[in-house]
Amino acid sequence: MQEKSTHLAGASLDIRIWEWLVGLLIIGLIVFVMPIPKVAAVSLVFAAAIVKAVLVVRKYMHLTAEHWLLYALALTPVVLIVGMAIALLPDIAFRQ
Amino acid sequence: MEAAPSIETVVQLGDGDSIREIPAPRLAIWLFLASEIMVFGGLLSCFVLFRIAHGGWDAEAAHVHWRIGAFNTLVLLTSSLTMALACTSAKEGKEGMAQRLRMFLGFTILLGMTFLGVKAYEYSLEFAKGFTPGAGLFWAFYYTLTGLHSLHVLAGIILNTTLWIAAARADLVPVVQRRIEYAGLYWHFVDVVWIFLFPLVYLT
Repeated sequence: MQEKSTHLAGASLDIRIWEWLVGLLIIGLIVFVMPIPKVAAVSLVFAAAIVKAVLVVRKYMHLTAEHWLLYALALTPVVLIVGMAIALLPDIAFRQ
Repeated sequence: MEAAPSIETVVQLGDGDSIREIPAPRLAIWLFLASEIMVFGGLLSCFVLFRIAHGGWDAEAAHVHWRIGAFNTLVLLTSSLTMALACTSAKEGKEGMAQRLRMFLGFTILLGMTFLGVKAYEYSLEFAKGFTPGAGLFWAFYYTLTGLHSLHVLAGIILNTTLWIAAARADLVPVVQRRIEYAGLYWHFVDVVWIFLFPLVYLT
């Protein structure tokens, strides 16, 4: 089984990745409709979204095979955005 | 048909043993995508901050059509598959490559148009209930985020259509073989944006 999966390439790999993406979408929707605490539901839905995004970026956009400097290029704006959001959190979100 | 040899300028990244050459257009498209991350990331983080500041906007968010959004997510994920299959066909360069490439690009274009059609239908439902961009801060954010994303889908459809038309000409197939990778990077990026936009707007 493992040997088979390690030899997946080309179109077969593309289809396998799509199956995972659809599976994660369904998991996110099930979590959304289930009567569970909102914090837990939101966390699970976003965890599924992050895994989906990583799958698309690494497999469909082939970032796995790229030089680390391209990773840095893609991640720098993400770090800046997260940093900006954290810095603004006290002033905007928790302003009285 | 074998993959066409690259005649593009290459850029060297790294030094010493880790040196690697990448085509200049690929580096350029990643730089462009980095700027796009700033655009969408800024908007999405503002949406999150204002949402926390306004108590979650639960009443407003209850009016968005999450089933339609989920269907559109499936459409966009499937379009990413067909785009990836088009890129894989171009890379492998096997017999009948041009036909397969055009078929998968055609599916990608149709799925992109389906996404926009469904989005237009969704907007009409919301407008009918009076939820216009001026109906409140939530709706202003909603239309800005989804509208900007839809414009990017439209740009992707135009780009893919250009390649689809070019691939019909045998002398342009090698050019399409090289350029489809860059169109693919853009299309997958638009998919990644929706992957975060969908739960932020529809599921929280």
